Amino acid sequence: MKRINIYGGVNLSVISTDKFKTNFISVNIISPLLKETASKNSLLTDVLKRGCKSYPTLRDINIKLDELYASSISVYVKKKGEVQTISFAASMLDNLYTIDNTDLMAENLKILSELIFEPYLENGVFSTTYVESEKKQLIDRINEQINNKSTYAMNRCLEIMCNDETYSVKNSGNIADVEVITPEILFDHYKKVISDYAVEISFVGNMQPEEVAGYINKYLSGFKPRMSAMPLTDVIRKATPKPEFVEPMPVVQGKLSLGFRMGTVLTDKEYPAFALLNELFGGSPSSLLFTNVREKLSLCYYCSSIPEAHKGVMIVASGIENENKEQAEKAILEQLETVRNNKFTDEEFELAKKSIINAYKEIPDSTAGMYNWYLSRILAGLSSSPLDAAEAITKVTREEVVASAKKVGHEMTYFLKGTLKKEEQADE
Amino acid sequence: MNNITEKVNSTVNERYFQINHKSGLNIFVIPKKHSTAFAIIGTNYGSMDRTFKTDSDADFITVPDGIAHFLEHKLFENEDGEDTFIRYARYGGNANAYTSFDKTAYLFSCTENFNENLKVLLDFVQAPYFTDASVQKEIGIIGQEIRMYDDNPGWQVFFNLLKALYIENPIQIDIAGTVESIAKITPEILYRCYNTFYNLNNMTLVVCGDVTSNQVLAVADKVLKNSKDINIERVPLDEPRQINEKHVTKNLEVAMPMITVGIKDKTPSQDIESLKRHAANEILLQMLFGNSSEFYTYAYNKRIITQNFSASAELGRNFAFVEIGGSTPDPDMLYSEIVDEINKKRILLFDKIDFERAKKVLYSSNLTSFDSTEDIANGFLRLHLLGGDLLDYPEIIASVSYEYACELFLDMYKEEYMASSIVFPNKK
Repeated sequence: MKRINIYGGVNLSVISTDKFKTNFISVNIISPLLKETASKNSLLTDVLKRGCKSYPTLRDINIKLDELYASSISVYVKKKGEVQTISFAASMLDNLYTIDNTDLMAENLKILSELIFEPYLENGVFSTTYVESEKKQLIDRINEQINNKSTYAMNRCLEIMCNDETYSVKNSGNIADVEVITPEILFDHYKKVISDYAVEISFVGNMQPEEVAGYINKYLSGFKPRMSAMPLTDVIRKATPKPEFVEPMPVVQGKLSLGFRMGTVLTDKEYPAFALLNELFGGSPSSLLFTNVREKLSLCYYCSSIPEAHKGVMIVASGIENENKEQAEKAILEQLETVRNNKFTDEEFELAKKSIINAYKEIPDSTAGMYNWYLSRILAGLSSSPLDAAEAITKVTREEVVASAKKVGHEMTYFLKGTLKKEEQADE
Repeated sequence: MNNITEKVNSTVNERYFQINHKSGLNIFVIPKKHSTAFAIIGTNYGSMDRTFKTDSDADFITVPDGIAHFLEHKLFENEDGEDTFIRYARYGGNANAYTSFDKTAYLFSCTENFNENLKVLLDFVQAPYFTDASVQKEIGIIGQEIRMYDDNPGWQVFFNLLKALYIENPIQIDIAGTVESIAKITPEILYRCYNTFYNLNNMTLVVCGDVTSNQVLAVADKVLKNSKDINIERVPLDEPRQINEKHVTKNLEVAMPMITVGIKDKTPSQDIESLKRHAANEILLQMLFGNSSEFYTYAYNKRIITQNFSASAELGRNFAFVEIGGSTPDPDMLYSEIVDEINKKRILLFDKIDFERAKKVLYSSNLTSFDSTEDIANGFLRLHLLGGDLLDYPEIIASVSYEYACELFLDMYKEEYMASSIVFPNKK
């Protein structure tokens, strides 16, 4: 990965590879995650993708993208720790595979540039029609977060656990805050977003760094220099046990989410030991959670641990029979105790190492994988590659994994309790 | 003797080697300079195969629903008590498996020790070991997998659509079966299914990565036991063209109704013609309901569709249909708008420019599926089992003419072949 400073506060990271038939570029505006702005950022991405100067409607944009060999552009917000990225991403075929002389990189950058700097306006602000339409669509989407019960249960657990922290602010926003946004408010916010925050541009594909920088200077020159530091995430390392939270819902399966403080974050030099601990505990089909809670006890179909390395929080998620809740919770916590007490076998330790090293080594074979890897690292002020991470794992000792496990603390249990028997879920 | 042939497609810049292995197994090796190698072995056996016999069986047997999927789970267990996931993990292999309507597949990816991981794969699919105790243990795990899908509105709306579309075809039976049906599974029936369908002559191995055909051959020669070709007889399927039920509904814990509209095609022949018809359907759906269509813009602005609206064509052994839908505040209105749009086009037909653009979209999107060894191998296996060839698919797309697409449209997109499935929110 090569990093180029375009100018103050605007940086470019290039991963040059000829492995893929597609090239990928993403312009990321790095906003702090704040209750006051999260809903606006979220709505802004929806409104900006509705139209721009040359392509005033959604259909105009999509027809143009079809013509560009099915290029795809997405505009979205994402939460990493207490940072909210606002991303404008384009994925396109490499020019090698076009049959005319279309320069797909140039054409995609022109559209991205218009979406960012020349949005479709009416009376000097965003179109009321677009804003109102996207507000309704966004509220629909927020309401629909309940549809996927396992994701819902994981998010609810973290939200309740981090209730007093910025981290509990929802990436998509919340309904009350969305409802009061007007075209004027949103446009004022938009001006601040494009001028104040740090900008991280990422490219993965078949082009050398200087060439990509040349394209950026030519087609995406609208950003002004800015003085902006990366927003920071508040980390709480020690768990403070909170009361259990049970939410009844008319579904058949119970969803158990256990929330933990990791005691370690991505920037710590001990992070490789944590990553290996997570793999051993619940990161793969050879992990303790899978082999014990699923295979030995037959309690569930899935049971795994999912860390958030920026914030230092982790969820163990599983879907179970409602009456097995106590047993499953106990079994999950026992696996963590096994690691803390240094009771895992040498083979389990070696298998976890091999598994995570393989996972790291597979990342360079995926455009999205490489992009996400480096953006995550850059937000944390790091630049290590997946292969560096694999190398670091080889040096981790058992003792370091045990020490890492001792820092992990169980903070709360969330249980989405199914109140339906299967027979009651009847067809109309 | 093993017979090796090579095939090249210079337009998409891909090639493969085919080995007719002496054991009976058909092997394909697709060279790709990625660090991640991927292998998948599939058998032509899925949830639809309920009643069958071989030459050596006196009578047909009808097996419990969900057994193909159950067998997929149980094959991971070995006589020495060691789980197959652990065997892979020793070589850093990342393994998985899946069962669909018409096939069962076992796969792994790895960045090291490819030969050893391939040996694990080929060994365990040839070594069934089923006992009463291990069958009992799996009932708990799969029971939770079934419960998870019971609460998944997307899955429920899809399966209810299949029930509405099909009268005789076992596609409408849930792949995992029901808690009641899997309780009837015994080691004896599992062995009968295994001995019928896990004959190497009924299986295909696809490898993609920085791997040579000699390398694969060396492992295959060492591990594969010769399989006597047997004749599998399935009870012939007599699925009428007409649908079963016009509308099916269900209530679940969702925020907004979800609808899927299906249009049933005639039972496909397993050859290039059915693939061409499939490609034509994909082009038609892109023109009718893609995000650059008139319909999409109209419906989105009217808020009768949301961002998760989509349309796709499905093709498998013995079934072909298209499905259109997503969440919507007003499923009845969306249904009638979809019907109106189709009826309108039945009179006006399509703009030729729109047709060429849709074709270009499909052709270009297909090229991007050559960017990961996993996507290539999966896609290759899928098309091979349907009687096609992944490297020929771009030409199949190119061969679809405007007239061909219009003819298919007029033959298939009729109200009499349409059905809908709706999931409504629970009444509060």
